[in-house]
Amino acid sequence: MTSRRLNVGGFVDREQPLDFFWNGVRLKGFSGDTLASALLANGKSVIGRSFKYHRPRGVMSAGVEESGALVTLGAGDRSDANVRATTQELYQGLIAKGQNAWPSVEFDLGAINNLLGRFFAAGFYYKTFMGIPPFEWGSGTGAWMWYEKFIRKAAGMGRASRLPDPDNYEHAHDYCDVLVVGSGPTGEAAAISIADAGLDVILVEQDSSLGGNSLVLDESLSSDERLAYLKSKGVRVMSRTTAFGIYDNLVVGLLERVSDHISDPPAYLPRQRFWIFRSRFIILATGAIERHIAFSNNDRPGVMTANAGCIYLKRFGVLVGEQVTMATTNDSAYQVAADLNKAGASVTLLDARPQISSELTDIIQSSGIELHLSAAPFDVIGRSATRGLTIAKSDGSHWKKAFEKKCDSILVSGGWSPVIHLLSHRGVKPIWHPTDACFLPGATDESIVVAGAAAGVWDNVDCRESGERVAEVAIRTIKNGLSSESVAATMGNSGTKSSVIPLYEVRNSKKKFKSFVDFQHDVTSNDIRLAHKEGYVSVEHLKRYTTLGMATDGGKMGNVVGLALMAEAAGKEIPDVGTTVFRPPYTPVSIGALAGRSVGKNFRPLRKTALHDWNIAHGAVMIETGLWQRPWYYPQAGETISEAYVREATITRRSVGICDVTSLGKIAVQGPDATEFLDRIYTNAFAKLAVGKARYGIMLRDDGLVMDDGTTWRLSETDYFMTTTTAHAAQVMAWLEELLQTRWPSLKVHVTSVSDAWVGISVSGPKSRAVLESVSSNVDHLSNESFPFMGVREVFLKDGVECRVARISFSGELGYEVYVPADFGSHVMEKLWVKAAELGGCLYGLETLGTLRIEKGHVTGAELDGRVTLEDAGLGKMASSKKLFIGSTLRRRPELLRQDRPKLVGIFPRDRTTMFNAGAILKGADSAEECGDGWITAVTHSPELGHWIGLGFISGGHSAWTNKGVVSLDPVRNRNIDVEIVSPHMVDPEGVRQRG
Amino acid sequence: MVNRSSALKGFYQRGSFNAGGQAGVILEEIPNLLLMQIATWPDNVKLVTSELEKKYGIEETRLLNGRVVFGDNIALLRITPLTWWCYGAPTLFEILPQHGTSLDISHSFVHVRLSGYAVRLCLNRLIAIDLRPSNCPPGSVFSTTLHHVGVTIWHSQDGFELFIPRGFACDVWTMLHDTAEQFGLEIV
Repeated sequence: MTSRRLNVGGFVDREQPLDFFWNGVRLKGFSGDTLASALLANGKSVIGRSFKYHRPRGVMSAGVEESGALVTLGAGDRSDANVRATTQELYQGLIAKGQNAWPSVEFDLGAINNLLGRFFAAGFYYKTFMGIPPFEWGSGTGAWMWYEKFIRKAAGMGRASRLPDPDNYEHAHDYCDVLVVGSGPTGEAAAISIADAGLDVILVEQDSSLGGNSLVLDESLSSDERLAYLKSKGVRVMSRTTAFGIYDNLVVGLLERVSDHISDPPAYLPRQRFWIFRSRFIILATGAIERHIAFSNNDRPGVMTANAGCIYLKRFGVLVGEQVTMATTNDSAYQVAADLNKAGASVTLLDARPQISSELTDIIQSSGIELHLSAAPFDVIGRSATRGLTIAKSDGSHWKKAFEKKCDSILVSGGWSPVIHLLSHRGVKPIWHPTDACFLPGATDESIVVAGAAAGVWDNVDCRESGERVAEVAIRTIKNGLSSESVAATMGNSGTKSSVIPLYEVRNSKKKFKSFVDFQHDVTSNDIRLAHKEGYVSVEHLKRYTTLGMATDGGKMGNVVGLALMAEAAGKEIPDVGTTVFRPPYTPVSIGALAGRSVGKNFRPLRKTALHDWNIAHGAVMIETGLWQRPWYYPQAGETISEAYVREATITRRSVGICDVTSLGKIAVQGPDATEFLDRIYTNAFAKLAVGKARYGIMLRDDGLVMDDGTTWRLSETDYFMTTTTAHAAQVMAWLEELLQTRWPSLKVHVTSVSDAWVGISVSGPKSRAVLESVSSNVDHLSNESFPFMGVREVFLKDGVECRVARISFSGELGYEVYVPADFGSHVMEKLWVKAAELGGCLYGLETLGTLRIEKGHVTGAELDGRVTLEDAGLGKMASSKKLFIGSTLRRRPELLRQDRPKLVGIFPRDRTTMFNAGAILKGADSAEECGDGWITAVTHSPELGHWIGLGFISGGHSAWTNKGVVSLDPVRNRNIDVEIVSPHMVDPEGVRQRG
Repeated sequence: MVNRSSALKGFYQRGSFNAGGQAGVILEEIPNLLLMQIATWPDNVKLVTSELEKKYGIEETRLLNGRVVFGDNIALLRITPLTWWCYGAPTLFEILPQHGTSLDISHSFVHVRLSGYAVRLCLNRLIAIDLRPSNCPPGSVFSTTLHHVGVTIWHSQDGFELFIPRGFACDVWTMLHDTAEQFGLEIV
């Protein structure tokens, strides 16, 4: 192949040269080039190595169907494998290298696979490595498990960077009346007609240039001129954007390559943008892809489609060869031949047909092209480059080797395959048209129409008319509000007669040869026949056995040829062996684009309390709990977490501790039926709860298991303030909404999440009242008599801030929960802390919160894990027998009432100096239960008791294990400890302190 | 009286970001949000509508779902068929319990305004709502998710008013900032 750049022609900007690096060598291209056109212009023929046989491969097309020129782009963390050189725009400094080769694509040691090719037929791995006879007869695939890692290492195309992706990606949404996919003559005409009708139309084009085939057939307008015209008509245009899939309700997925063509894109610009489009009508003007023909060594560098040769000439000013042999089955190659001839190439044209029209004869005669009718390519001469072609002639029924022709480039046109992939995504089966030798789109009852070449309309003028015709349908449908069935009815049949004759393979049974069907996965015509011989009768089985059409090109080049060979082997017609289903994406979509901005620190939203900055300023080490950032502990200088939480817990029990509990869920329950509502959702009664009092409540799921717990405060006859656990806040809110909207719509209740409205501050410890008094405007309201345990007050602080205070305690000490409007939170916290510090108090975090509650036997999400009943949690007395509530019936199922169910217990180590771990299994020393008798949910060192303690569940509960030996089994950490089962209420079981 | 402390305190950095000429997006926190929620039940909608009109001097009955009307120094946002948000009201709307409920949610949200010629494009990078003028003219209000966070958005004459749950405000602000920068961003 001796491709070269011409001095004139094409749409590249010769005034803007670009340097780029190919396999470490600096080369020159022009603005407007693709990497493929630039490589061809530099005379590069071997671009990569094939997947299995490591055969040298060159540029085979000029578009997304490319199977040969797959390269690795960039370096380091921006290394991107399997990039199609044919669609990658050239930019200054672009770095690319060939792949699947060592040491280089020109000389690849892996090419030995080609010599061993007879062993690498379809199903090679299964046959060779799985159940190896006779060693593994009847004994499974043990050897495969050993071989697999080596095979995996050897397999694959390209190598992805293992470094984090440094680029940004984003998602985007847009809407329009009509989405037109493809900016060729059909799409352009459709979009303009729709815009003229005053509808909102978006035209998307995967290429950087608009115009599709118009760019090479009608060179009068450049892409920029087309863009300007379309915009002037009111068409919204998106180039470098691929419609990769159509989904339900006319939702279209698009991938926009925002900065893949920019040398040094600014950091704020995403690399790619993942669009989700919603339109009222979709027009698919996606064109058609030219097919290859299977013949011996048809994968050699220098063999490409005729249309590609045309595009490189007329768009990029690159002549793909000096001596070009073209092989065709249809008319479309003739103009290409004439153009190449005119550009200086010596062209020989092989037409498989025995005769041609007078128009084609005129083209041949006026251009001096050497024409051979009933001729086809037989075998390529050359290895790393094309040096000639053995040509076969047809005797009407067979192909026979006829003569050789010296050439440096072979252009093939085996017919055209309409791009029907997007419609196929909707489950629409394509229909085989024997006269056009291609699949055409089937009918759909959705507002999607296919037009132009994608619908089998082959002439540019006809395509424009086709575009205008479907535009009328779209306009009529939208303006008249027609149903989708009506749309389908208006479409009728598409397709016009073309001049193609079916030719999928040229072979001579006497010669051993490799003729490729799927170039990217090295699937040969013999593989197809082998699959048939081995009993694969369905095309879906064929695909999976041979991997035909399963590479990144998605079978764009090989599927039809593969189907045809399968049909021939089976003695059937093509439609009878089945049609493959194209699935999204049409072209590969990077994982980064799917993730958008939801990566790294933005993987999920971060939720901060209004005290976040205050906590950090006061030394808090933060921890993520769900989405929340919460203070974990407040270490003093040199303190470890273990030392910190022991100190914090000790001070809290002896003096006072302050903790940010803002993350608790908070729900306003309002309305005249609020009390009735609470009675239905909580197990205990709320009807008699007085205004100004709080009550601890537990709600069950329908199945009788515990959902959540918390306190609910009665602010007025019709107004409650409910708190939930941090973990279940959203779940409870959604549950309450569901109940009100679906089960009890007659209840006059509104629930509103006010979790963000209030800052929650827990003040605990014997001196907590003094701390509260220091900020309150009315000290009398806080006395033990006027503000007893479970009391609720709306209190004005000295500086005018109105707070809600409840005398409740999670720590078991005298304690208050103070709720402050969020924007005043840090101000009030500071005031409370100043007093607490003066009294020798401390700030404490989640770790200490855990210690204090474990000592008291209070449950949290660790215990309420969705498997626990009220009785299991030791809260059976909270179930009212006088009312019905959610879960009240199903909680009485016999299985849930068994006495030997695991119940909440406290756990001490027998040897008080030892520790044990949460997550360990509890097993009776004499128990026969292999799975153990229970488990440990939480463990802490108890400053109050001076040793390690835990909470957990064990069969039958505390009473069942009195004076019995129990072991904490921790096989993961290899630590088995003898433990003692005790009451879960390990500190102040009578609750004297919190009432003091 | 104590000053309110913004959730964006420490995050709010005024200035231009990639805005060489005219900024495509202008981002601004509107501090000291006053927001009262009024909710009712289906059989009281007419009654409450009438009371709201009377209280806030709204002459016509145009309290349509998803729309905003203006009264005496307030804007009334019909955020659901049974719920209004009264923007700018300093006190709760007084309502009998059997007619509906009233709730101060001023501290629940951070009010951020997005404006500029590229504001629709910018927002549609983050929310899946059709913001074309034909579908979302000024005076529209809707709820959606932005970076997994539930937000309510009012298309006002000044731009798009975002009501972001306070706890998520910093994260959403960062997301808005990062997204808006490509259009040229100015924070005022």
